[in-house]
Amino acid sequence: MDRSATSPSALTGAVRGNGDAVFATIVRCSAVLILLGLGGMVAVMAWGARGAFGRFGLGFLFDKAWNPVTQHFGAAAPMFGTLVTSLLAIAMAVPLAFGIAVWLTEIASSRIAGVIGTLIQLLAAVPSIIFGMWGFAVLVPFMAHYVEPMAAHTLGRLPVVGTLFRGAPYGTGFLTGGMILAVMITPFISAVMRDVFLSMPAVLKESAYGLGMTRWEVVRRIILPWSRTSVVGGIMLGLGRALGETMAITFVIGNANHIGWSLFSPGNTIASLIALEFPESAVGSLKFSSLMAVGFLLMLISLGTLVCSRLLLRSKAAGR
Amino acid sequence: MTVSEKNQAPAAIAVRNLDFYYGANHALKNISIDFPHGQVTGMIGPSGCGKSTLLRVLNRMYDLYPGQRATGEVIFDGCNILGPKVNLNVLRSRVGMVFQKPTPFPMSIYDNIAFGVRLHERLDRSAMDARVEDVLRRVALWPEVRDRLHDSAAALSGGQQQRLCIARTIATRPEVVLLDEPTSALDPVSTARIEELLDELKADFTIAIVTHNLQQAARCADQVAFFYMGEVVEVDSADRMFTAPREKRTQDYITGRFG
Repeated sequence: MDRSATSPSALTGAVRGNGDAVFATIVRCSAVLILLGLGGMVAVMAWGARGAFGRFGLGFLFDKAWNPVTQHFGAAAPMFGTLVTSLLAIAMAVPLAFGIAVWLTEIASSRIAGVIGTLIQLLAAVPSIIFGMWGFAVLVPFMAHYVEPMAAHTLGRLPVVGTLFRGAPYGTGFLTGGMILAVMITPFISAVMRDVFLSMPAVLKESAYGLGMTRWEVVRRIILPWSRTSVVGGIMLGLGRALGETMAITFVIGNANHIGWSLFSPGNTIASLIALEFPESAVGSLKFSSLMAVGFLLMLISLGTLVCSRLLLRSKAAGR
Repeated sequence: MTVSEKNQAPAAIAVRNLDFYYGANHALKNISIDFPHGQVTGMIGPSGCGKSTLLRVLNRMYDLYPGQRATGEVIFDGCNILGPKVNLNVLRSRVGMVFQKPTPFPMSIYDNIAFGVRLHERLDRSAMDARVEDVLRRVALWPEVRDRLHDSAAALSGGQQQRLCIARTIATRPEVVLLDEPTSALDPVSTARIEELLDELKADFTIAIVTHNLQQAARCADQVAFFYMGEVVEVDSADRMFTAPREKRTQDYITGRFG
């Protein structure tokens, strides 16, 4: 059979049409767009923040004043509030999420585990404003009337730790904010943990049980060490979400630019500060620029957390 | 010793009228078989015939999974281990299991062995060191790992990992050792080593081994059971099973006509 360069079966012949080239260009552009979008966002935030950083310098990071009247702004209070509420949320959500994930993968029958697993995903889909409304209408009064007075009378009397649980029971504040965030991020963290636990080879668990280990020993000694980095990665993912959460926490944080040891005291987070004050600040004013600056800081913190979680999750995948 | 004398060894485990179900699937049908004390029982048969299922009944591994259940009797040390009051942790420490693929725990070589021992015994440091060395010597792994006992077990080769898993299993001093195709993922040299090992181990342990390798069954086993479609077709000494099987189905299988 003749296979000259003009025959359709020639190996060096031209590719049919130029669909491939067009398609490749289109998808490449979409990918570049992401890069441009992210880079542009960082650049715009940094540019917007130049006024604040130019005026206050690096001291902006450590200044706890936020006074529109005297035109004196600092990021310390909202940064403190953001970190405290997020860490509180992690401290409350991780044990809960761990318990849920272990129960779903190790103990519950597959049918019930399926139902509960779906419900947890639904919980993750609840819009954050709903959590905010529930927090304001239900959780805040409950905290003010029951939880905080009770904690102040018990934990508040302990030395050292007691400092955290003293103060007027407003109901709003760091503790309540942390609790709302915990409820919001628990589904995320437990979903990641469940996937990690499920990806564990069954024979490894069976060999552990085969040596006569109890369920708790298998979880503690085999499952946790095996999945440690991925679990930490999942926690970081939850932390990233808690740091940036706005609507749920704005209603319950108290909106006071305040730094203090008491978990009952009202505070502020970067996201709620921006949500409340950004619409009423004039473009180009020092306040506007300061809000851009705290936004820039929040973005750096969140991106840093996300990068850490990615690195942890990837190192586990590569290690296998 | 003749075959008939050998099979008078008392049964370490006696299975009587055992039925097993994966949900609605009837996987073992009225099985009765003895595992004579101090002998190797080889279990052969085509895939899905119930050999591995029987192993998983003998240490109640199936209990981890909802929907799997067994009826009948499995007598071990005078007790029906299918009963509800059986302490599964103790049972599994006395009936150890080795899996098809090596399953080292994510910890050091030393801890892989010491960990299981610590669950059931309190040994001081030197006694534990001695136990670890003893079992590693028995599986002929000691010369290869003596200088890196505290390195991760994941760094060992497949054959070494499997010998480590056997060492880990015998370190808790079980009476019965169950092996589920322990060499199917290994190269011929590692396989030969593990077969030698079985021969030495049967002085101390009763062994049940599932294998797809008929030569392996012929080499290692004292008694061989042929499984087919969830039933035990024939149980006999290895010699007789491979030279003069009584059942037509056994003969067809061992001569390679199906399976």
